[in-house]
Amino acid sequence: MSQLQARFFTEYKKFAIDDVPFSIPAASEVKDLSNVINKLLEFKIADHKHVEFDFLVRGQFLRTSLANHMETENISTEEVVEIEYVQKFTAPQPEECIMHDDWISSVEADSEWILTGSYDKTARIWSLEGKAVMTVAGHTDVVKDVAWVKRDGLSSLLLTASLDQTVLLWEWNSERNKVKARHCCRGHAGSVDTIAVDPTRTKVLVFYLSVPTEEEDEVEEPNRPRKKQKTEQMGLTRTPLMTLSGHGEAVSSVLWTDAEELCSASWDHTIRLWDAETGVQKSMLTGSKVFNCISYSPLCRRLASGSTDRHVRLWDPRSKDGSLVLLSLTSHTGWVTAVRWSLSNNHQLVSGSFDNVVKLWDIRSCKAPLYDLAAHEDRVMCADWTESGLILSGGADNKLYTYKYGTCVSDAGA
Amino acid sequence: MSARGAAAERNSGMKKTTEKRKNREKEEQQQEEEELPMFDKNADKVGHLDDTDEEKEDLSDSEESVFSGLEDSGTDDDDDEEDDGDDDDDDDGDDASGEEEEEQDEENHNKVEKDPAAGETSLTPQTEDKPAKSRKLKKKKSVTSGGDEEEERGKSERDSGLKISSQVDEYEQDTSDEEDIRNTVGNIPMEWYKDFPHIGYDLDGKKIFKPIRSKDELDEFLEKMENPDYWRTVQDKMTGSDVRLSDEQVDLVHRLQHGKFGDINFNEYEPAIDFFSNEVMIHPVTNRPEDKRSFIPSLIEKEKVGKLVHAIKMGWIKPRRPKDSAPLYYDLWAKEDPNSILGRHKMHVPAPKIRLPGHEESYNPPPEYLLTEEERLTWEQQDPEERKLSLLPQKFPSLRAVPAFTRFIHERFERCLDLYLCPRQRKMRVNVNPEDLIPKLPKPKDLHPFPTTQSLVYRGHSSLVRSISVAPGGQWLVSGSDDGTVRFWEVATARCLKTVEVGGAVKSVAWSPNPAVCLVAISHGNTVVLMNPGLGDRLILSATDQLISSYEEPTEVKDQPVEWSLAEGTEHQQGQRLILTHPRAVKQVTWHGKGDYLACVMPDVSSNVQVVIHQVSKRRTQNPFRKNKGMVQCVSFHPIRPYFFVATQRHVRVYNLIKQELTKKLMTNCKWVSSMAIHPGGDNVICGSYDCRLAWFDLDLSTKPYKMLRHHKKALRGVAYHRQYPLFASGSDDGSVIVCHGMVYNDLLQNPLIVPVKVLKGHTITHDLGVLDVAFHPTQPWVFSSGADGTVRLFT
Repeated sequence: MSQLQARFFTEYKKFAIDDVPFSIPAASEVKDLSNVINKLLEFKIADHKHVEFDFLVRGQFLRTSLANHMETENISTEEVVEIEYVQKFTAPQPEECIMHDDWISSVEADSEWILTGSYDKTARIWSLEGKAVMTVAGHTDVVKDVAWVKRDGLSSLLLTASLDQTVLLWEWNSERNKVKARHCCRGHAGSVDTIAVDPTRTKVLVFYLSVPTEEEDEVEEPNRPRKKQKTEQMGLTRTPLMTLSGHGEAVSSVLWTDAEELCSASWDHTIRLWDAETGVQKSMLTGSKVFNCISYSPLCRRLASGSTDRHVRLWDPRSKDGSLVLLSLTSHTGWVTAVRWSLSNNHQLVSGSFDNVVKLWDIRSCKAPLYDLAAHEDRVMCADWTESGLILSGGADNKLYTYKYGTCVSDAGA
Repeated sequence: MSARGAAAERNSGMKKTTEKRKNREKEEQQQEEEELPMFDKNADKVGHLDDTDEEKEDLSDSEESVFSGLEDSGTDDDDDEEDDGDDDDDDDGDDASGEEEEEQDEENHNKVEKDPAAGETSLTPQTEDKPAKSRKLKKKKSVTSGGDEEEERGKSERDSGLKISSQVDEYEQDTSDEEDIRNTVGNIPMEWYKDFPHIGYDLDGKKIFKPIRSKDELDEFLEKMENPDYWRTVQDKMTGSDVRLSDEQVDLVHRLQHGKFGDINFNEYEPAIDFFSNEVMIHPVTNRPEDKRSFIPSLIEKEKVGKLVHAIKMGWIKPRRPKDSAPLYYDLWAKEDPNSILGRHKMHVPAPKIRLPGHEESYNPPPEYLLTEEERLTWEQQDPEERKLSLLPQKFPSLRAVPAFTRFIHERFERCLDLYLCPRQRKMRVNVNPEDLIPKLPKPKDLHPFPTTQSLVYRGHSSLVRSISVAPGGQWLVSGSDDGTVRFWEVATARCLKTVEVGGAVKSVAWSPNPAVCLVAISHGNTVVLMNPGLGDRLILSATDQLISSYEEPTEVKDQPVEWSLAEGTEHQQGQRLILTHPRAVKQVTWHGKGDYLACVMPDVSSNVQVVIHQVSKRRTQNPFRKNKGMVQCVSFHPIRPYFFVATQRHVRVYNLIKQELTKKLMTNCKWVSSMAIHPGGDNVICGSYDCRLAWFDLDLSTKPYKMLRHHKKALRGVAYHRQYPLFASGSDDGSVIVCHGMVYNDLLQNPLIVPVKVLKGHTITHDLGVLDVAFHPTQPWVFSSGADGTVRLFT
């Protein structure tokens, strides 16, 4: 069989073509199809410039020849094939390489600034261009996690968690470039490995200042109940508002799925969902390996987890009982230490691993990642993704890499 | 008579001899016949008795015999004469012959006149059997008809005339049917027809009338007087007619009366011919079928048979059993054991196949098979057993030119010798499928979780890492190296958090298992340092420091083999808290499960103080053993009970610390034990040894190893049990860590299940040393290994 009946369609109006079935060679690959579309567009639009397209057959990216793909996916070749095409995602462009003094344990970026935590016991603030703006020093031990809390004009609030069992809340004035420790949160009987900030920080800004902020951090203290800490705005030292206990071992990652619910992943092979108000465990997802990191995408409502068995797994947190693994993304060769969903695209996520590679995934092609970002020379320990399409990754080679990735943000179906 | 004919043929010329033979045989037959029919005689006699009673027509058996008439003629003369007359009248068809006969009779009459008296007196011929008689009669007839010239030489002219007439009537006279025609009634007693005028019926159903006998005494007498042939006339009983005997018949009667043979020609004194000679004849001498008479049942036999039948009926004689139809033969192997036969079949050893001759054996091999001079020399120098070829390939122009094989006899002899000396005993080989011998073990993939891949490498040490230990929480790892440093690592990230210089090659490190304190025991040289690494919960760290500082010096100072001292200055800054100075180099430190007691090993063959146990809280030191039982390799505390394991070179001794006695002595069967680990349950022990073996002991089972694992290729350096998972690992000098599934069941009847699941490789071998120590993560199925390449590796 050499010819296939195919009908092309796209959600992107600019590149729309007539809804007519075409007969195309079965052996054609992405490039051939892309040429076909471009030719059609040239007939339609006079000033069309060549655009590379990617093709989806029944929600899966085409990576081999069309005939091969359809055979592996068990798609009948008798009928007219519906092929969706999207503008090809261009490869992320490396932008900056920001040198640190020590391993980078964590990174979080917002639209203007990058906050990194490092093993040299400091947290640093960088501009997006890679210029060192501020060094936040105050911890007596390794900084494990950092988080932006809120931005109010020129002054910002940020959190740093450290191995010295404390979480510090800092206020940073970007104009004066002064940082001031506002609070110290204690309560953990071990190093604080991860913190997460309530998504309401942006919505109820006023509320935040007057009422105690809701922060949540987890203790990495095996054989001890995990604790949730809420700081109150009285005095310098704050004690936990609530302690969520249940995990049998170290908690490696926490996050807020929405204002009422939070989620924690642990070394005891479970992901637990908690009710933020009452502190009651709502559901539990059980895996077979230690979880290193989780990430939640409000766009597609999926949890992505990285674990020690080199797989990135996608979970549906709404499934109440049992562990429903939707997809396994397998390409890494070491522990997956960082996963982060794209903030703008509901199909894409980035993962970092101890095999020194950061991978960009599209869940529509789960067999292979979209791109491998192999810049690091040592283990990747953290990764982040800004709304502007900047991918950040830091690792044990003391380098923070930034990649520009956003040419096709506009065309994504979000 | 064929035999006779044959004899005649053979001796064609010797007629006399044949005749003699004939006569002799006849004689013999007669004798036989006389003797055999016993009953016959009796019957005849009975018949005679009857005859005498009834006087007339008393022919009991005789059917057609002339002689019966002859006999009667002697007694009943009257009848005979009457018959004669009747005969003439009745037989019209036979008139001519009858007349001729009469004439003949008349002629003979003169000759044999006197005879009747003699014939009457001598009754001997009576006894003669009829067949023989009839035969003779026939013969005589044939003689007469055949015209025997010798006999009739002396006869009258009428004789010649008769001869002519006889020739004419030959058939009528001679047919045996003739008599039957006259007598149609068959062989029945003739008296039945006594009252009838006829005897039987002819073919047309008309009565055959008897000749009329109405002669009275007078007629009879007249006849006698007038008829010259009266004396030779007899009455035929069968037909009732008178028959006039011919001359020959009369002659025959005379001869018989004189006791001579009936046949004139018969010479009873003929020379004997030895029939049964050594001469081979083409036909058998006698082929005569048996006489029917011989089948006449014997009365004696009948009596006997009757008795037998009676006996059988009464059951006195049992009928014979049916014979087995199976062939009878001698079963040579009847008594042989069937197994031995099987065995013999089994014993069959097929001869090994002989290689077919190749080119080198050819008389004209291809040139490449011919040996060069050098090869030939080496061939000659080699031992015959070492030679590749048993012969030197040689080339000859033709097969004719091939010389005789000089070693033929020698080789034959050797072959015979081989056959003779070959061992007849068969070496029994156990034919077992090797796969059957492998115990049925679960597949490793069913035994997850266990470490499978190398995940992290903890780099930093510059020399071989002797010992590692994991914090009870599983977050930290401590490693001691020959470069004189102790490093503390964060397990999850392989980050070296702390490096402490201790000033000497670190032999052993051990993290206190008590989670409430944070103490690490480090041995280097003669000293053991108790260190607070400053990792983990601050509260615990401060509690540890407080525990050490709260010690109060006892009032009585005991003499201790170990000197306790507090660390000060930079050492204190580093985290060192207590320094214990031992008399000798400390090889191993190990904690008791509660974290208060610490055992140190100072291996020394000559000393009694090889093992000391310290109590940290009271800073006391004990020497538990008074005697030296061999160089101590390593020691270990029982995880639950107050037992203490001491491994010397070849044995592991288990002591009860409370009772202060030896509980058990485990025989390791190893040459040199290197390491030991106790199962967290406390009932199982594994020992690694320098001779590549790992011995698993089940203390409940025996003091001998339950299993010996020989998976490593080189000496084992470290063994470890997992605290939660059923796993144990062994590190070896071959650079590999072997993880085995070692399930211990609570059921005492079930033996531990040991399955090797994974060989983990990663360490590079430096200075012939590979993996020096292994340790499991306390909660995860992860194994750490330290190697001579200065790295610690984590396998998950």
